[in-house]
Amino acid sequence: MSTPLWRRYLGFIRSDVRADVDDELSLHLELRVERNIALGMSPEDARREAVQRFGDVGGVRDALVDHDRRKQVTRQRAEYVADFVQDLKFGVRALRRSPAFTIAAALTLALGIGANTAIFSVVNAVVLQALPYREPDRLVTIGTGSFGEYLALRDRLHSIVDLAAWTPVTHPVDIGGDAMRLHGAAITSNLLPLLGISPAIGRDFLPAEGKFGNANVVLISHALWQREFAGARDVVGRSISIEGSRFAIVGIMPSSFHYPSDDVEFWQPYVVSPSNLGLMWGVNGKRMVGRLAPKATLTQGRTELRNVWPSLRRANPLWDPGPEYGTSVSVTPLQSQIVGSARALLWMLFGVTLLVLLIACVNVANLLLARAVARERELAVRAALGGGRGRLLRQLLTESLVLAALGAILGVALGWLAMRGLVAVMPAGIPRADEISMSMRALAFALATSVGTGLLFGLVPALRATSANGSQSSVGGSGRRATAGASQLRISGALVAGEVALAVMLATASLLLVRSFAALRAIAPGFETTHVVAARVSVPDARFAADTRGVLAFYQSVLDRTQALPGVRGAALVDHLPLAGPVWGIAARVQGQFEDFTRTLPFIDHMQIVTPGYFATIGIHVVRGRAFDDGDRAGAPWVAIVSQSVARRFWPNGDAIGQRIGFPYDSPWMTIVGIVPDTKQDSLRDTTSASMYVPWSQASRRFTGELWLVARTTGDPAAIGATLRRVVHDIDRAMPVSDVRTMDAVISDSVIKSRFTTLLVAAFALLALALGAVGIYGVMSYLVGERRREMGIRIALGASRASVMRLVLRRAVWLASIGAAIGIAGAIVATRSLRQWLYGVSPMDPVTLLIVPILFLAVAGLASSAPAMRATRADPASALREE
Amino acid sequence: MPTERETGDLLQGTLGILILKSLMLGAAHGYAISRWIEDATDDVLRIEEGSLYPALRRLEDRAWVTSEWGLSENNRRARFYTITAAGRKHLRSEASVWLRYSQAVTRVLRAEPSVA
Repeated sequence: MSTPLWRRYLGFIRSDVRADVDDELSLHLELRVERNIALGMSPEDARREAVQRFGDVGGVRDALVDHDRRKQVTRQRAEYVADFVQDLKFGVRALRRSPAFTIAAALTLALGIGANTAIFSVVNAVVLQALPYREPDRLVTIGTGSFGEYLALRDRLHSIVDLAAWTPVTHPVDIGGDAMRLHGAAITSNLLPLLGISPAIGRDFLPAEGKFGNANVVLISHALWQREFAGARDVVGRSISIEGSRFAIVGIMPSSFHYPSDDVEFWQPYVVSPSNLGLMWGVNGKRMVGRLAPKATLTQGRTELRNVWPSLRRANPLWDPGPEYGTSVSVTPLQSQIVGSARALLWMLFGVTLLVLLIACVNVANLLLARAVARERELAVRAALGGGRGRLLRQLLTESLVLAALGAILGVALGWLAMRGLVAVMPAGIPRADEISMSMRALAFALATSVGTGLLFGLVPALRATSANGSQSSVGGSGRRATAGASQLRISGALVAGEVALAVMLATASLLLVRSFAALRAIAPGFETTHVVAARVSVPDARFAADTRGVLAFYQSVLDRTQALPGVRGAALVDHLPLAGPVWGIAARVQGQFEDFTRTLPFIDHMQIVTPGYFATIGIHVVRGRAFDDGDRAGAPWVAIVSQSVARRFWPNGDAIGQRIGFPYDSPWMTIVGIVPDTKQDSLRDTTSASMYVPWSQASRRFTGELWLVARTTGDPAAIGATLRRVVHDIDRAMPVSDVRTMDAVISDSVIKSRFTTLLVAAFALLALALGAVGIYGVMSYLVGERRREMGIRIALGASRASVMRLVLRRAVWLASIGAAIGIAGAIVATRSLRQWLYGVSPMDPVTLLIVPILFLAVAGLASSAPAMRATRADPASALREE
Repeated sequence: MPTERETGDLLQGTLGILILKSLMLGAAHGYAISRWIEDATDDVLRIEEGSLYPALRRLEDRAWVTSEWGLSENNRRARFYTITAAGRKHLRSEASVWLRYSQAVTRVLRAEPSVA
């Protein structure tokens, strides 16, 4: 009663249900036929009778096949699940037996997956994802120009259609509470249709509202609607005051709409009187956006633009823009223009996280290899006891899977947290920040990479244990094992060296950024920053035009009341606060040197309009002469104060005091009454700090609509901030107060991007360092485990424990040295691309290039000290017994 | 003579018991089982032999029998069925129900005036 071997074998793989059923039924029929013949029937009768007795042969056969098939599937599935559950239990048990390994490997995976997912999610949302507009890949920008140029180009271009224009605006907006200073955009009425966006509530601008004198309508952002109107539905039709003029709200934009930037809260029609040639042709900065015509390519668009734009040279009624006019224009996809400078930063960060992921993968591989040695005997025994190779492989694969799943779950959680954190600390001005969400693509990529690594290297011990010589040598504990171990040691060593190299690259980049940031923060701005608080006070245009005297009086009373506040030692007004934005410069006449304002005049980098108390308030000491005082009034002789480099430049051999300079147009000379030191104005990185100061009371006609109120306090300046807002609104609540910050905050905000980059890269470098330490620990543990007997013998033969320890440490330091050398070489190449983020530090900074390798050698020594200690405890007696 | 339909109903309930009973003698393939039933009942219960196999599958699904491939008397590949411990237990309980039932029916039918 034994099945033929081939059948049984076949059945083991996949029993053929149909053949089995046929065999069973035909045997029945044949035996019945044989009996019938034996009873004396003719063969035909015998067959007919047998079939008749049986009934519906075909029906029974089909029913049996169907039944058996279903049963087979169920059984296979059950077997598979049972095996898997068993493997799972086995895997969990095995992992729990070595918690250090499990934690290290799972955490490594989690960090790699988490960091990568977080950063790629940001890169994906900001750089890669298509813009949320209609046919986003056809949208292009053709640069900036005057409104006259825009109108001309709109009519002449054929490869770019629906040309729209916008310009950023910042206006005092009065909705009823304290007035605000809001960012908005003045847009042509075809911009929203071009983007394929319409208001969520209300309507878009009508073409007629793009005409001069008919444009007092406004669209507001969803956020503004929620914040100021609590989402009331009847907002459309109400009016708000912008720059002191009434604008009717015609619609509310969808909450997802943030063009042209995240901080835009209202949109108004861009209008200019056709008769105002100065505004029409003299003011640039209108950003032009259009759509490539159907079938037109970017190249065609560029070619056409380069032909058409220069032809506008003669259309300019104001002046001849010169032969170079319109020759350097280009057409750029809207997406790359929006992403702009954020792109480089994000790709750099992404490169950094890829390095971390790579390190994580190497690390996991290494840990698994090290573990393979520890389990070699166990697996060899199991293979020898008849655990099939396939079964053993599946078992280890399941174990790796458990590990990978653990890492993946942690990684996803970590990635999500990191992404939220990243969005929270990200400096303002990264475009499309609101679109950031966990990228499934990123997650899949990181999961596939790290889990794949885990699975791949998880198989190594299984392959070794089940390969013929591997199992024999391990069970027997023969000398051949040492050779197998040696080759594996080489692989592990190479992996660790590679890992250290990557980590060294990262650490080098990070240290360069840290040193550069430190250098940046060490720069003295040239004025006092502690105990100084500033606030921007704006005035609606319409108010200033209608009541100039009233506005001047308003600022004076703000100043007076601030000075009278308890805890305030002094206060001043300045038109452009240093380090809070650009402090514009001006061309200047210099008496006796450059007097003809129709010729090219020397340029002074920065000019500020200040009240007399400014220098004392912000702590700029007058080097020579005097500060402004109340005597420098509107009717008095015009005066100015210059910084030292201005004085040096124009009067290198004499005294600047008493010399005269002037604005670059027909105006009275200003006598220089004081000299102050150069200070940082635009940013801490300023290399140009030639400054000129004029008194507010003599230069109020250069007023641009807002002044900064600066106060010097005796105590905590932040405490005075809120008071400043109240002081202003007590006098006139229609004057927006914004950007209330201490000077310390102003300065740290001015370097926020550098800090962000530095922090992030430093975090990754620390991560890489930690991973590197884990890697070294892993491979050294492996080495010690592999050579435990050898160590034991050495000790038995009289080697001191210290010399055994040295043996291990030397190996670790050697691996780290190779890795560090490669890493430094790589860093020298790679950190060149960091140059744009560095300040005061060369990419070849010797301190960095020296400290990083030393740091890694120290870490290597530290990480291998535990395995080294273990080596000294190798028991000579048991080592000899095993031999 | 019961009608065909009634035979089918009778067999639905009893075929399993007959099969199990036949397997008490030892493992057997389908044809041997049907021959045994044929002989044991003097061919009174003319079962449709084709229905034997689905019945065997049902018994196997309930783990009352197991099957295994082997060689038949004439050296052909054959599927042999064996009764399991659960099968024996089931047979015992079914048999006692059957016997009590048939005794009761017999007693009723034998009661005066006897019809048999």
